[in-house]
Amino acid sequence: MTLSVWRYSHLVLAVSSSIFILLASITGIILAFEPISNRVQPNTTNNLNEITVAEIATTLRENYTEIISVEIDKNDWVTASIIDEEGNNEIFYINPKTGDNLGKPTETNSIFQFATNLHRSLFLKSIGRFFIGLTSLLLFLISITGIFLIFKKQGGFPGFFRPIVKEKFNPYYHTLFGRWLLIPILIITISGVYLSLEQFAIIPKSKIVHQEDTLFAEEPLLALSQFEIFNNTKLSDVRKIEFPFAEFPDSYFLLQLKNKEVLVNQFNGTIVSEFNYPFTALISYYSLILHTGQASILWSIILLLACIGILFFMYSGFSIALQRRKSRIKNRFKKDACEYVILIGSENGNTFHFANALHSELIRLGKKSFLAELNSYKSYKNMQHLIVMTATYGKGEAPTNAKKFNALLQTHQQGKSFDYSVVGFGSLAYPDFCQFAYHVDDMLQQHANSNRLDNVFTINNQSLESFNQWLLQWKDKENLDIRLPEAILSKKKRKTYTFEVTKNTKADEQYDNTFLIQLKVTLGKVRFKSGDLLSIVSDKDHRERLYSIGKSDGNTILISVKLHDKGYISNHLNNLNIGDKIECSIVKNKGFRLPKKAKNVMLIATGTGIGPYLGMLHENNEKSGLHLYWGGRKKESFNLYKKEIDAQLEKGNLASLRLALSQEQEEKLYVQDVLKEDGEKISEILKNKGVVMICGSVVMQKDVTNTLDEICKKYLKKSLSYYQNKGAVLMDCY
Amino acid sequence: MKLKLFILSIVTLLTLAAFSPVAKSTSYKCMIQLINYNGEGAYIAVSLLDAKGNYVETLNVIGDDNEWYHDLTNWWKYFENTTNTIDAITGATISGGERTIKVIKIDDDKLNKGYKIRFETAVEDQKYVADDVTFELTSESVKSKVDGTGYIRYIRMLPQK
Repeated sequence: MTLSVWRYSHLVLAVSSSIFILLASITGIILAFEPISNRVQPNTTNNLNEITVAEIATTLRENYTEIISVEIDKNDWVTASIIDEEGNNEIFYINPKTGDNLGKPTETNSIFQFATNLHRSLFLKSIGRFFIGLTSLLLFLISITGIFLIFKKQGGFPGFFRPIVKEKFNPYYHTLFGRWLLIPILIITISGVYLSLEQFAIIPKSKIVHQEDTLFAEEPLLALSQFEIFNNTKLSDVRKIEFPFAEFPDSYFLLQLKNKEVLVNQFNGTIVSEFNYPFTALISYYSLILHTGQASILWSIILLLACIGILFFMYSGFSIALQRRKSRIKNRFKKDACEYVILIGSENGNTFHFANALHSELIRLGKKSFLAELNSYKSYKNMQHLIVMTATYGKGEAPTNAKKFNALLQTHQQGKSFDYSVVGFGSLAYPDFCQFAYHVDDMLQQHANSNRLDNVFTINNQSLESFNQWLLQWKDKENLDIRLPEAILSKKKRKTYTFEVTKNTKADEQYDNTFLIQLKVTLGKVRFKSGDLLSIVSDKDHRERLYSIGKSDGNTILISVKLHDKGYISNHLNNLNIGDKIECSIVKNKGFRLPKKAKNVMLIATGTGIGPYLGMLHENNEKSGLHLYWGGRKKESFNLYKKEIDAQLEKGNLASLRLALSQEQEEKLYVQDVLKEDGEKISEILKNKGVVMICGSVVMQKDVTNTLDEICKKYLKKSLSYYQNKGAVLMDCY
Repeated sequence: MKLKLFILSIVTLLTLAAFSPVAKSTSYKCMIQLINYNGEGAYIAVSLLDAKGNYVETLNVIGDDNEWYHDLTNWWKYFENTTNTIDAITGATISGGERTIKVIKIDDDKLNKGYKIRFETAVEDQKYVADDVTFELTSESVKSKVDGTGYIRYIRMLPQK
């Protein structure tokens, strides 16, 4: 499939530098602990900004025979080098306030030494250094291309900070962590590149040369404590103080500060020579500090996380790339020989999975089928049936491999007339759900020879069940004996648990053929929350049915089921008695859970869609204001839930209840009509960071979102998608 | 009687030991100032040589990663085959334009006898300088400033009282 320039470079850069990045990030993880472990040592002093150079110089002169130098490292450890009475050179940490000996410096831990060497030069000296520097540059470029990919995915620059819509694990977290770690990684790579450039003398390491071959004035003679520069300089600005070599007029104090170097007359403290470090030296100093994480525990922890993040990016990035490679097109027949043409629009290659399944199934049935991307649309001499399967990218735009379709459709003519159907793939969490599929449908409708078989069929979150529904609908129209191939089914094996039925109201005793069934896991512990889905796979056709879970007392699952005459699973469930066992699995549905923080939540449902809310009301310990809007046919339809709902109203778990019973009055009243009446209240809830949850059929969802959009526009002067983007609209519709 | 004799002999022995000529040594402060070259930190070996130019003792080593020691070719040939440890007299490298002050100990009887002190230097990926600074140890020279020929700009020595 076509790759955009950014994606292509992102991948090529990553592949070409992967081994070095792997080594550098693993060693980076180890090295991040060095400054952390250093910082917690007792040598660390925190009061360097309270001590002047004059104080420490005087203290040391009093305590030791002769001092060579005092150094303050990036861990704020103060080391003195002195000559003792026996003429031996001693180097030890000191307490800068008292001058006390705090012990000899210990050697760097050999693990850190090893890791540093590997990280810096791969044990290959200059060649290794060069490769590591290059790797740093490549990682920088990878991050830059990554920024552009995020722009593309999120719909331009303003979208960069918008919440990312949950899709599959790898792409989601690759983007999410990518955004979090962008700044640290840019800093690591830029500082790394700078340090290597310096290493290879591309950026000159500038040096300061003082004029020092002169004799300095010996008069007037002042005590160290009276030296002006010494009194004005705090230790927190000092890197090193070199004491005069001898008491001759040609020896001096050398004071290395963070930003300059000063020669000081040893007799009276006058400044003999002073040089500011050039800008490059400062950059070099900060590059080192930022790259190594010295000087701050917090920053070293961020560096550590960035290194771990890079490992995760490699893993998730490559698995995304592999996933995409799987979706390459293989055709057995020439395009002009085929009566079935399947066109794909996909950004991540997910849609290919379904298209391939259909393609191979058609071929298995002896049909000639041709698979192509929307961008390679041509004339197809024998085409009778066209199926377009397409995702939508960003804000209702065409995926990369479908951008040219509109133009191509005008250029290439089809000789024969053909049927077509459009299947849209997307996520309901996006405001522009399947928008591009609708565009394609419009384009095809205007085509001279086209015959539209059906409305656009939309599939949320790659639901296998929805795809199967479409397939059933399509094969009826096309008179094909097609079924969902095993290959596509076996992919989704989940862990199953045995549940025992603890309650079943049975449909026959209820109005509307609806019933409630309660299940409890028999063995072990299973974790779930209201809003998750219970997956039951039919042993007959291996199809999966999903039911929204309401979590009720004692970790039991409550589901609300509508009995369908021919529904294999719903009949099976209805026939279960207390004590019977059933195998099911749990599908996490994190996008549809009761928000913890929202003060007010609107729960909107029709029919069995109330199921998860029954559990949420039960869980509402934070006592959020929950407002239930339920649509059904008759008063009696609500009887099934009445007892539980009344109890929750009583307890205060449910703040308000509004029913829309369509058959109870002349003019049909639907849930969206009730919403319209409460428009002002709803807009207040949304305005005050409340959340709207919608559960039920897709038809209801469309009506409800349209109404909510009107309400938002009327009262809040914003579209519903604004709130959707903020994550204030949660939906679970089927 | 035997005891008296024993004590007497011990005392005699100790007296003899105290007056026998034990080598006395002096500490010298030694400043090494490098020229302004570009590149890695310099490795420097400071050694004591006899009048014929043979290595006698390692006085100081600047550079604490022994994987680079073999770059100091001549000194390494000598040092490789000795069992001396130099942990106490090694320190971190210094780069171009920097200076360091070291304390070295030299036996007093090596002065004015033709013994020499040598500073040899090496920098990663750059040339090795076999005798950056070499001079004979005399009562005068141990208080002097001597210019280098390679990475060293000058060294200065000063005896400690």
